[in-house]
Amino acid sequence: MQTRDFTRSRWWMPAFCLFLGAVMFGAFAIGDNVGQGAVSFGIMAALGAVFAFGRRSETLQGLGGPGRDERWAMIDLRATALAGVVTILFVLGAWLYQVARGEDGSAYALIGAVGGLSYVIAVAVLRWRG
Amino acid sequence: MKNAVRDLRTARKLSQQQLAAAMQVSRQTINSIEKERYTPSLPLAIALARYFGTTVEEVFDADS
Repeated sequence: MQTRDFTRSRWWMPAFCLFLGAVMFGAFAIGDNVGQGAVSFGIMAALGAVFAFGRRSETLQGLGGPGRDERWAMIDLRATALAGVVTILFVLGAWLYQVARGEDGSAYALIGAVGGLSYVIAVAVLRWRG
Repeated sequence: MKNAVRDLRTARKLSQQQLAAAMQVSRQTINSIEKERYTPSLPLAIALARYFGTTVEEVFDADS
C-alpha cells in the first residue's frame, strides 16, 4: 500500500540532493578546495532538479519518492541488495588486488568488514523480529 | 501469477488509474499485476478481492 510521509513527497529527494551538495561543498571548503566544492554542489543541484522536474518518468518518481507503493518497496529492496552485492564484490576484489601488489589494503578491508558485519547483524535482528 | 484483475476491472468499466486510486497504489502497479509481472502482497490481494466482491482464490490462481 502507499506510504505517505515527507520522505515520499516530491521534494524529499531534491532537498536531500541540495543538502548533500552543501555538505560536500563544506567538506571541500574545509580542505581549501572551494572550486571543487562548487562543482560538486552544482552536480548535486542539477541532480536535484532532475528529480524535482522529471515528472513523467516512473523510474525518476520512484527514485525521488512520490509514486512509491509496495511494488516500489520491493524494487527498492532488490536494487539495494544487488547494489550491496556489487559493492562487496568490488571491495573484496580491490582488497585482494592491493594485497597481491604488496600494498596496504586496510581501507578496503575495513569497508568489507563493516559490510560483512552489518549483514550478519541485520540477518540476526531480522530473524529475531520474525 | 495468473489473475483475473483485468477481466474484473474491465467488466466494471474501470480504468487502471481508477482501480489504482481505490487500492492506493500506482497505475503501473495495477498494470504489472495484470501482466503477471508482479505478485501483490497479501493485504493488496485481499483488498482487490474485497473491492471486486469476490475471494482471493477467484482473483489469483496460485497453481499457475
